[in-house]
Amino acid sequence: MAANSIERRIRWSGLIIALGLIVQSLTLFWTHPLSFMAFLLIGCPLVAAGLLLYLYSLVSHHHPPGTEAESSR
Amino acid sequence: MNNTAPILIFFTSIVIVLAVLMALRAELTRGRGGKILAFVTLAVLPVLAVWAGVHEQLERSTSTKFCLSCHVMHDFGQSLSLDDKAYIPAVHYQNNFVPRDHACFTCHTDYTMFGDYRAKWRGMHHVWVEYFGKIPQPADIKLYTPYNNRECLHCHAGARKYEEASSHHKNPDMLARAASGKLSCLTADCHDSVHDVANLKDNTFWKGPN
Repeated sequence: MAANSIERRIRWSGLIIALGLIVQSLTLFWTHPLSFMAFLLIGCPLVAAGLLLYLYSLVSHHHPPGTEAESSR
Repeated sequence: MNNTAPILIFFTSIVIVLAVLMALRAELTRGRGGKILAFVTLAVLPVLAVWAGVHEQLERSTSTKFCLSCHVMHDFGQSLSLDDKAYIPAVHYQNNFVPRDHACFTCHTDYTMFGDYRAKWRGMHHVWVEYFGKIPQPADIKLYTPYNNRECLHCHAGARKYEEASSHHKNPDMLARAASGKLSCLTADCHDSVHDVANLKDNTFWKGPN
């Protein structure tokens, strides 16, 4: 159940980061103030949100002692 | 698009593919290898991609093309091609005294610790005004503060042509006063022909190097 919760957050994190980076890539095709603003106000916040969600997924779940080592094998 | 943009786009594309892969196969993170892959894909590489993107965007925002892309700046861009040696911006632009592809930024950014960032902040305000505010007539656009000699002296200070010009020795303390900012380089009867966009129509224009 907890693993599903973490994976769901990682899934969303990956999608949000990908979306932010797609915006960033698109802005690189156009040298214009609007492109700069799109990068700064859409691309960067999306990547930051995805990154924070991923980091939150790491710290939000407490593994009982021993389970981590077993799941890693 | 400059030379680094295709590399950055390629790198960003790889990170996008990895991030999508992580989103589609989140169960990979159950193993140690998957956890490391997730950390690299969702933390390290995106930060690198955004850092490179910020650098690229900041570099682009210093270009003449970027500054002149707002309609209201058209006349200021045209004033760079005025065929008149008395016009300071034109003579700098046409003789490569400033890099042509970064002409605006070279003279209109404070050469101080936060000059670049202050210019960017003002630029963002200009974009807001361009799309959501009341756009002034080009002739009504003024500097926020009087032009600082520091921006001229950044290049000219110590130059022989500047130091030895007879016009700069009309008074014995002229250079010292200019250096301290007490006498503006743009003072009337000195270098006072700057971006006179209100009178552009009456002038001829340089056709360019080619």
